[in-house]
Amino acid sequence: MNPILVLGGGPAGLSATAELASLGAPTLLVERESYLGGNPKRWHYSLLAPDLRPAEEVMDPLLERVTGRPEVELRLGTTLTKAERTATGFSVALRSADTTVTREVSAVVLATGFDHFDSRRKFEYGYGRYPDVLDFKELEGMIHDDKVLRPSDGRPPKRIAWILCVGSRDVQVGNPWCCRMGCAVSIKQAVEIRQKHPEIDAYVYYMDIRTYGLWEDLYWKSMQEYGVKFIRGRIGQVTVAEGGSRLIATGEDTILSRPTEVPFDMIVLASGMEPGTGTKQAAELFGVPVGPEGFLTPRLSDLNPVDSGIPGVFFAGAATGPKAIPDAVTEGMGAALRAFQYARR
Amino acid sequence: MSIVARLPRRTLSLTEEEEAAPPTMELTGRRRMTAEERGTAATIFQEFRADRRHREFVVGCLNCGECTTGCPAARFYDFSPREMLQIAQNGDATTLWDAMQEKIWACCQCYTCNMRCRFGNDIAGIISVMRELSVSHGLESTRRTLAPFGRSLTLLMTVGTQVASDMIQPDFFRDWGPFATGSDKVWQVSAEVMRKAIPSDVLQTTRSSWEVSVQTSLELFRIYEETGVLDMLRGLDPDLTEMLIDIIEERREEFVEARERFQDQLAGQTGPVTTFSG
Repeated sequence: MNPILVLGGGPAGLSATAELASLGAPTLLVERESYLGGNPKRWHYSLLAPDLRPAEEVMDPLLERVTGRPEVELRLGTTLTKAERTATGFSVALRSADTTVTREVSAVVLATGFDHFDSRRKFEYGYGRYPDVLDFKELEGMIHDDKVLRPSDGRPPKRIAWILCVGSRDVQVGNPWCCRMGCAVSIKQAVEIRQKHPEIDAYVYYMDIRTYGLWEDLYWKSMQEYGVKFIRGRIGQVTVAEGGSRLIATGEDTILSRPTEVPFDMIVLASGMEPGTGTKQAAELFGVPVGPEGFLTPRLSDLNPVDSGIPGVFFAGAATGPKAIPDAVTEGMGAALRAFQYARR
Repeated sequence: MSIVARLPRRTLSLTEEEEAAPPTMELTGRRRMTAEERGTAATIFQEFRADRRHREFVVGCLNCGECTTGCPAARFYDFSPREMLQIAQNGDATTLWDAMQEKIWACCQCYTCNMRCRFGNDIAGIISVMRELSVSHGLESTRRTLAPFGRSLTLLMTVGTQVASDMIQPDFFRDWGPFATGSDKVWQVSAEVMRKAIPSDVLQTTRSSWEVSVQTSLELFRIYEETGVLDMLRGLDPDLTEMLIDIIEERREEFVEARERFQDQLAGQTGPVTTFSG
């Protein structure tokens, strides 16, 4: 049997690879970056919502299951440049640095994931202009290393604001969908900071809090146990105080129906999830259907969320829409099973 | 005798005096509407909801408040574009009526709310629909609100503009930030210079901006006539409307005279002929 190609080494791709290997199927894992682990590794995720487990505790066992196994051929720093259907599956061209090799594969799992929204596109928040306006993916690394300091002067912040739905639920930037993670991750960050530094005030500005299902517990606890403050309304603009370096967040408190203008030492933007560059490229190479949002569309999103509808091509993880790590891992398992069944037919 | 028994008796029904002259305020503090006003409010509500623009402008609302954040009027008045949109979307005849009494006139129609809205609503647009209705129904409150603007309205309707660049003070240009006052050390830009940023075709002073060609005036009048603006205005301010119509007629006569003069001149000339029609 020709190997099964897994495209993308994030949680979904790692999970698919691990399951395929445990089924004894030869697997070719291709990752664009020079490391495995996807966005969680790239941005040094700290604790993971909702259970507040360190990201390493979740990612490392996944990585262990795919490294050093005879069934798994790992190709890092490699991208797919061509894919053609053959009698037995696909013939794919893989390019790394300066060489391109062609390989025969029996089935394909697209686990090409998401990219964080580029917060500079919401210019009113001053991201990229004011050093103390951070994207929450950058704050993850800071919390992870316990170095939550203002980039502008290296001093510890006294008051931090989170702005949710930056580049999500917004037709102005063309992203009307919900990122599903922004609420939980922002609240989790506020909790982590309040755990370690109770002297820092944490404010979350929100339209709706979507800590769906059992994750709601995190939202409640953030108030009950950690005193995180929630203000309903969006910040519409961020400016810098005259003669100082504090940021001024201007918005409407929509519960009290009155304007708010609050100084902060640091403002954190919960940037949304967009289809990853790899996802767009893979869609073109394999001719898989793409929805209006740019994510890959399963043929039956309810009955079979991992089938593309194109024989031999399967989906896993955030390539089909914003997803949490547990969901990505589950889909990796499902896609592995479907790809294995197809390759063995 | 217990204290309770000695208390004066209170009933839920109105006293005879109250029946004769019902209170002018409701419990919520708003003025009680007359039967006639309630009727007008119901008609306005129906017309508002039936207006094709309603369906197009009001899409939905997440109540995020970004429209109000960017709104210059919300900083100075008890006004919120979010509230206006909520009333347009979910309100009833009474809330719409209340909003149309005063609040809609706080909007400066700058359309910043539209630019901010992440749901794609045309908030400033729906406010202008409310304004149209309040004018066309000749609401007493609208008459009162617009009374001080007769001069502006006359200028707008006859020459198309009422502001000249030398009337603009830096205080009105807060969005230019501290630079506009010239206090900034880096830019050294004064309000005088910033005013030059106004597009050149409106860079006119009070000496010239109210002098427009007869043709421009007549085009404006034509628009007001064809779109029914004059009829709308008649219900609100008949005197002003009559005055405007007088001005229109005057300018039309001017135009006819000018054309005749031009044709006379043409008759005495040879060579290619250009037409001159209105």
